[in-house]
Amino acid sequence: MADDSHIPAQARAAAQSGGARRPADTVQEVGVASEGVAAGAVAAPRGGFSILPAFDEHHPPSFQLVEECVHCGFCLPSCPTYLLFGEEMDSPRGRIYLMKEALQGEPLDGAMARHFDLCLGCLACVTACPSGVRYERLIEATRQQVERRYRRSVADRSFRALIYQLFPYPARLRLFTAPLGLYQRSGLQSLVRRSGVPARFPSRLRSLEELMPPLSPRRDTGVPVWTPALGSERRRVGLLLGCVQRFFFGEVNAATARVLSAEGCGVLAPQRQGCCGALSLHAGREAEAMRFARKTIDCFEAAGVETVAVNVAGCGSAMKEYGYLLRDDPQYAERARQFSARVRDVSELLSELGPVAERHALPLTVVYHDACHLAHGQGIRAQPRELLRQIPGLTLHEVPREREICCGSAGTYNLLEPEPARELGERKARAVLDAGAQLLVTGNPGCHLQIQAALRRLHRPLPAAHVMEVIDASIRGVPVDALVQWPAASRRLAWPGAGA
Amino acid sequence: MDRRARLVRRMEEALGAVAVVSERAELRTYECDGLTSYRVVPSLVVLPESAEQVQRAVCICHQEGVPFVARGSGTGLSGGALPVEDGVLIVLARMRRILEVDIPSQRVVVEPGVINLWVTEAVAPQGYYYAPDPSSQLVCSIGGNVAENSGGAHCLKYGFTTNHVTGLEVVLPTGETVQFGGKALDTPGYDLVGAFVGSEGTLGIATRITLRIVRKPEVVRTLLAAFVSMEEAGGAVSGIIAAGILPAAVEMMDALSREAAEAAVHAGYPAGAGGLLIVELDGPAAEVEYQFGEVERICHQNGCTELRIARNDEERVLMWKGRRAAFAAMGRISPDYYVQDGVIPRTALPQVLRKIAQLAAAHDLRVANVFHAGDGNLHPLVLYDGAVEGQAERAELLAGEILKACLEQGGSITGEHGVGFDKKRYMPDMFTTTDLATMQLLRCAFDPDHRCNPGKVFPTPRLCGEVPGPYRVHPLEKAGLAERM
Amino acid sequence: MDVRLREIVGAHVWEAGTEDAIDGVQPALVIEPGSVEEAAAVLRLANENNLAVAPRGGGSKLGWGNPPERLDWILSTVRMNRVLEHAAGDLVVRVQAGACLRDVQQELAGAGQWLALDPPEAEGTIGGIIAANDFGSHRLRFGTVRDLLIGITYVLPDGTVAKAGGKVVKNVAGYDLNKLFTGSLGTLGLIAEAIFRLHPVPASSRAVVAPQSGAGMGAGELGGAVQSILDSSLVPSALDFEWREGGRLFVLFEGVETGVTAQAEAARQLLDRRGGAAILEDVQVRPLWQGMGRPQLDRNGTRLKITTPIAELPALITCVENLAAGHPLVRTMWGHAGSGIAYLDLGADEQPVIALLAELREKIAALGGSVVAHAAPAGVKRALDVWGEVGTALPLMLAVKRQFDPMRVMNPGRFVGGI
Repeated sequence: MADDSHIPAQARAAAQSGGARRPADTVQEVGVASEGVAAGAVAAPRGGFSILPAFDEHHPPSFQLVEECVHCGFCLPSCPTYLLFGEEMDSPRGRIYLMKEALQGEPLDGAMARHFDLCLGCLACVTACPSGVRYERLIEATRQQVERRYRRSVADRSFRALIYQLFPYPARLRLFTAPLGLYQRSGLQSLVRRSGVPARFPSRLRSLEELMPPLSPRRDTGVPVWTPALGSERRRVGLLLGCVQRFFFGEVNAATARVLSAEGCGVLAPQRQGCCGALSLHAGREAEAMRFARKTIDCFEAAGVETVAVNVAGCGSAMKEYGYLLRDDPQYAERARQFSARVRDVSELLSELGPVAERHALPLTVVYHDACHLAHGQGIRAQPRELLRQIPGLTLHEVPREREICCGSAGTYNLLEPEPARELGERKARAVLDAGAQLLVTGNPGCHLQIQAALRRLHRPLPAAHVMEVIDASIRGVPVDALVQWPAASRRLAWPGAGA
Repeated sequence: MDRRARLVRRMEEALGAVAVVSERAELRTYECDGLTSYRVVPSLVVLPESAEQVQRAVCICHQEGVPFVARGSGTGLSGGALPVEDGVLIVLARMRRILEVDIPSQRVVVEPGVINLWVTEAVAPQGYYYAPDPSSQLVCSIGGNVAENSGGAHCLKYGFTTNHVTGLEVVLPTGETVQFGGKALDTPGYDLVGAFVGSEGTLGIATRITLRIVRKPEVVRTLLAAFVSMEEAGGAVSGIIAAGILPAAVEMMDALSREAAEAAVHAGYPAGAGGLLIVELDGPAAEVEYQFGEVERICHQNGCTELRIARNDEERVLMWKGRRAAFAAMGRISPDYYVQDGVIPRTALPQVLRKIAQLAAAHDLRVANVFHAGDGNLHPLVLYDGAVEGQAERAELLAGEILKACLEQGGSITGEHGVGFDKKRYMPDMFTTTDLATMQLLRCAFDPDHRCNPGKVFPTPRLCGEVPGPYRVHPLEKAGLAERM
Repeated sequence: MDVRLREIVGAHVWEAGTEDAIDGVQPALVIEPGSVEEAAAVLRLANENNLAVAPRGGGSKLGWGNPPERLDWILSTVRMNRVLEHAAGDLVVRVQAGACLRDVQQELAGAGQWLALDPPEAEGTIGGIIAANDFGSHRLRFGTVRDLLIGITYVLPDGTVAKAGGKVVKNVAGYDLNKLFTGSLGTLGLIAEAIFRLHPVPASSRAVVAPQSGAGMGAGELGGAVQSILDSSLVPSALDFEWREGGRLFVLFEGVETGVTAQAEAARQLLDRRGGAAILEDVQVRPLWQGMGRPQLDRNGTRLKITTPIAELPALITCVENLAAGHPLVRTMWGHAGSGIAYLDLGADEQPVIALLAELREKIAALGGSVVAHAAPAGVKRALDVWGEVGTALPLMLAVKRQFDPMRVMNPGRFVGGI
């Protein structure tokens, strides 16, 4: 498990007082080229690790794309790390500049890698850029290079290994969640949290503990393999169950399947499906991402569905990029392209289809939070709002400020970079609270966990739900109280056709 | 210990390690501001978080005899924040607190790193705003605005930064902190607030700025008028001014800039227009209604082919969106472009546009024109492809000639971007040696050691002695080491 | 000396009389150059001979400032009094410093334009107005000299002639010496030419006076009334007040007929609650505003200019009332409420005036403002600096003076900190 006792006390203190400025670097290995690292590695003079050339020949960030940046700086105000640290190197403009330097011969050293790691990948800069710079392509390519070529510290590597060996594998997550369920239901978790002991945990461990949601009672038995459409079938869709979603937000999947069914979709949730590879893709773990992508394509192709529906922002975003990811694979390139063209976020899909199921009133105020991979990554902002507005009696509030700033979840960012994530979470939580709503609605489990953890730290809890849960409640005429007091109510909910 | 190492150590001790950047790759990200044609890697970058830290940093520079340059968001277009080699770059981006909002006295006090738009956002709920609104207002800093005396589309009616700053706290190059002005007007003594604003960071670093805010107008009415040519659009503007109407803003775009803006933001500008006019009037409802009617009439009188009136805030924002994104949008129709900034008497616009067209043809390059028609500030955007041999040089040459054309009409070499590094060489075209030398008397009073943002604004530094008399050649210039550019 | 002067200005030099003295300091000569070159030559001569020179236009503001340390020559600009260029299409005018404002306005009116400055001193010249930072009620809407001056030609004491700014409104090339010279009281050099931006002459005007009759408003009420106007979206050209044991507010609207009528009505409604408000038509407006700012000052009286943050008007009034309690000294107080500028006239009793001024300065400084004496008898000026404390910026101001006028030729001793 990661521990940050090796971080100099001064830096740790600086990071915790008044918010992280430049979070404590993990100590670098004294650089000696080891076997698996590409030729040309050199020891950096200050005892860090440095590699030259910075990038290898396999898909380095494109110099042409880098040159499209005119250095205007319009991206700075939308960048969460620039907001926190105020340094050029932690802004999109600065990161692009670092990429350019690297392409022009600067070595990839600890400092540079750190700035790339600190990027949340939220893509708010892509939305803000008036010149249309493809930052998403650049950071993806750069992360892949860093993953391949840069040697992180032992602690860092171990922690990352833990995450990527665990989260994308349903079977392993199931094993992991058993004791976790006990930890929560036995009351041990609340005892631990009240004791204040976690505050003394090393930062990353503390982060993990804070973010843990109540384990979903439904887990992966929540969604049957096949749910027929109510009434005539308008579309045959495949449903991605997700990894973290499956175990911690089974209700959301259940609600999603119900809503799709109610809106005339036949829903296939293939059992064999695994991870879509989003976590790996966004972390620059290219080979791993490609493996997951191929398996996912195989699985859903076999299912023979017209559309693949996704209720997790990050997953949908990644799956829409399969065409680009597998462009070099002759066996999959075309299939991936076609697959990607069939991927829809559920709100996007429902908006396309148009509502048929009656909506019952849900008199409550909600605040909708745009997940970055929905808003910036897929350009999906209007559809979830449209769906919410179709519910009678529902009042939609907007987050009153810093709407385009990431909540800090950013995939596994809140586990890997807890200090900036915590600060961003707090900013978002305060803004959400100022919206004055009864319920927080979002389209991504990561955001859900992150914002709720931040609200808990502020001692201002606010119930949260997925867009699909709200629509589901409206279609089934569930009273507001039941929706807002999840999970207690969920055990009373009947699954149509599956027995109570 | 060598000087640089000592400097690093002293800065780290005084400001904390977290405020000091000394790694080469990181330093390079600061080597230029919004103008990328010039790059200089600073020796060191520091990011103070308080006025006191700024003072410490400047003191250290003073004691070590090291030059320094201040930087805000790094979006300037004249290289004003271009670092000095072997110098320190003092970045004010972390000083971004709004210190006080005093609506009854119409003042807001801010730190220099506060973003321009944040000031308006802070007072908008009470119905006020901060008038100087450069197109980069969502990222440029107040400190930078003070240095450049930034304007914006609405400066015709409302003035520039200098008309909206009533007080400053400044760290002088010697490290002392002084106060100029305050919340009240007309502080006794020389108007050092007025002298400091627009001095492009060569006189000191402002660490606290008292701004004047204004009440939002009762109504804002915006129209978009398309004309066959820029001449006719210009004629409409002359008519508006002659009718005694002072619009809040009058913007003109030619066909090329319209194309690029449309490609970038899809504002729905009328296709095929040779000249596009955006006119905005604001003020009390009855007055605006009357004047707006006049403006419409005048546009029609001058042959507008299409006239659109914004019916609500959204439409108004959309009309402006294209204009505001015009520069950055050039990236879509050309690999590279050079933004020029010149001023001409408004009545000289037709001649100048003709001249620009001639010059552009002569250099075989395209030039898009965006014009603050109300105040005569012209932004010719010289389009080129840096990858093609010689084009970058031609573009620069052309930009310089355009500037000379502006001067020929009695204009200025810069309306808002400042002289910085980029336009030093044109200063002698606008001012005589004597003019420049006497301006520098001011600099000698503030910065006798010539260490505060040296190498900016003036092509040749003046010898700062106590000896009176006309301009004397600087020894460096005599020795052929300093260039008269 | 005389010979050299005559070489420069011909017959336009003569012995000064007692009426040419400034605060009792008697100069020897009055010189009237006819051009910038002549003025430059005169100053160079003064500089070489370590003489003290005071520029003078209409002479209406010679009492502003401390008494000169020494005074040898008066440099009069009355012969340099032409409007050089009026570019009506660009709303710009270039004038010589000795031109009388009244004459300039007359010429500009021909094209329906005006220089938006309306100082009460009628005989003021452009140079004097700039040097003294003189202004009137229209400051609220159009600003003062610093907001209207876009270009300047000046002569340094060593005879250097230089310019700053230009003929275009928008110009950020070089240092803004226009601002430096504004209000410098002739201590940095002679202002020879000036370029201003202009505004269209409004078609119509209306004024609102509140209360229209009876006792005036209380201090707090007056402050509230001012805030209600400022916080509305009305755009007055002037928002002035008068205080004589009670306050009265005067609001001026200018523009197109429909606009001013609507605004005046809106203002009247806002102010009506406070004892009735009346609307004055066009015809009555001009005399009202011309009368403002020109109460008769007692012989040997003192006129103070007090600036504070806008919201401090009630506190200022209360402070003055308290200080003046029992003193028959205080005559009237009036000013530009919308800008935080007030004027206070005091009677001719020196000792109490000095005491009152000292105490007033302290109180006003605490409010974030300043008190400057625009007119005061010699005794008061000897006891107290007319400018008051300048604060941390004084050494820098001294440094600026040293750069521009190292021999202290220009108005020595008349400015802040003994400059």
